[in-house]
Amino acid sequence: MRNYGPLDDFTLIELYPDVQVNRDNVEYYRGLAERKLLINHCADCGTWIYPHRPICPECWSWNVKAEEVSGLGSVFMWTTLMQQRSPSAPHEPVPVAAVDFAEQKGLRYLSRIVNCRPEDITHDMPVRLTWIEIGNLEWPAFEPIPGGAN
Amino acid sequence: MARNPLKDQLAVVGIGSTPYGRDLQRSHLSLGLEAAIAAIRDAGIDKNEIDGICGSGMTPLAQGGSGFLSLQGALGIDEITWGKNSWLGSCFVYAAEAVFSGLSDMCLVVQTYVRDPGMSRSAYADPFRRNLTKFGDIGGDIGGSDFAKRWVHSGEPYAGWMRRYMHDYGVNKDAFAYLAVNSRSHAAHNPAAVMQQPITLDDYHASRQIWEPMQMLDMDVPVDCAEAFVITTAERARDMTDKPVLIHAMSLGGTRVGEFYENSLPWDQNAFWVTLKGLWARSELKLEDIDLFFPYDGYTIDGVGVTEAAGYCKPGECGDFFKDNWDEARQVLRLNGKTEVMTHGGGLGMGRAGGANYFSEAVRQMRGQEGARQIAEVPEAALIAIGSFFHDPCAVVLRT
Repeated sequence: MRNYGPLDDFTLIELYPDVQVNRDNVEYYRGLAERKLLINHCADCGTWIYPHRPICPECWSWNVKAEEVSGLGSVFMWTTLMQQRSPSAPHEPVPVAAVDFAEQKGLRYLSRIVNCRPEDITHDMPVRLTWIEIGNLEWPAFEPIPGGAN
Repeated sequence: MARNPLKDQLAVVGIGSTPYGRDLQRSHLSLGLEAAIAAIRDAGIDKNEIDGICGSGMTPLAQGGSGFLSLQGALGIDEITWGKNSWLGSCFVYAAEAVFSGLSDMCLVVQTYVRDPGMSRSAYADPFRRNLTKFGDIGGDIGGSDFAKRWVHSGEPYAGWMRRYMHDYGVNKDAFAYLAVNSRSHAAHNPAAVMQQPITLDDYHASRQIWEPMQMLDMDVPVDCAEAFVITTAERARDMTDKPVLIHAMSLGGTRVGEFYENSLPWDQNAFWVTLKGLWARSELKLEDIDLFFPYDGYTIDGVGVTEAAGYCKPGECGDFFKDNWDEARQVLRLNGKTEVMTHGGGLGMGRAGGANYFSEAVRQMRGQEGARQIAEVPEAALIAIGSFFHDPCAVVLRT
């Protein structure tokens, strides 16, 4: 359970050396370092905004705040990667899914599906947020909700 | 109808292609120069008549590629009044815009593609290919450690879309399979194509899973190649040739999805639908006038999307439509008894050129220059639609 606590910008950027942390997405990565999944939310009209953009596309408000989501959602679409972009890297098949968040229709987040055989994934399958450790970091992943109805 | 002031006012007067190969051991620039020289010679002009260049790629100052700066310098073209880089479908439209606007009178388009190191083990083993990616610039940290950014400019969502398409419309893989077989049947008659062996529907279904349910034979074939075109005004073209190939109408297209492709809109709202709607709002020629059809085949699902967006059939009905329009003897598509599809083999058979080879094939067929492969009744109208569900789509109607 790695939680780096609230990090200053310099430490945060060093923690994600191969990611372009910028002023629009910095709160998302600060959240990840604390094991929280934050998505921008319009404080004026309530629209959830993803990816991390500085205005609301519906009302053009700049009053946009990164807020923690419930982590509940369903599988909109997915593919199982049988081969990596770097073909020399050995690996297991990786299911990758666009997860529709419960907060808003069409609010989607790309993630791994874990704790589930690839052949058991279905469209619209209910899933919930979990975390997986890779190196010195934890990243979001999604797992089926036990007993969750299709 | 939308405005179409450029109707028949522009023409393609030069075409140049390099050989296609899996490992030509040449740079982007070397390939681009060969195609450029061939296109300029085909147009029958002096190189210094070129006053606009659309090079390859998305960044103007990228090193090691065939951007317009490198091309102009290497070709020794003294002065241009317009320059830009682009790829996929938009490159052709940008160059045509430049000529129509008057910023260029004779515009060269050069498109180069090489087999990326991420496309196969053998490509990855080549240190020059790895260096190309290391120093290339496609805009940021895609593919880095944040998995959530994996579908920023990725092919993987197309695999997800194949399954979602089959799920939403209750269909199987027929539409994808017919497109794959069609291209390979045509490629077998094209000496320039890298894939010379035709395939069967069974071969398609038996091919290796890459991004399940997307298979190897759903994906265009990575090659080293280049294509180049010269575009000028119709008026000038008539001084150069008796029967110029004219640009009748064209459109680009975009949606509000943005750059994270998991935010996809429903199937029949992706950028191909916007683009084809934009085209038909501008074109006086209609679908029934089209003799040659080039639906983008980077992945077979692209071609299915273009076919449906063009209006050949309703969303989800492409498999049935292809089955009803299948020439069993030739193992190719022949739409509504007249329209030939991807007659050179496309990306799936000739090789991946981001669709640039559709333009060269269309122009050569419409000029009647394809020799043994020439369609007996020389085609007079071609529909080319290239691009992505998310970026750089174009649709163009060419006519003679």
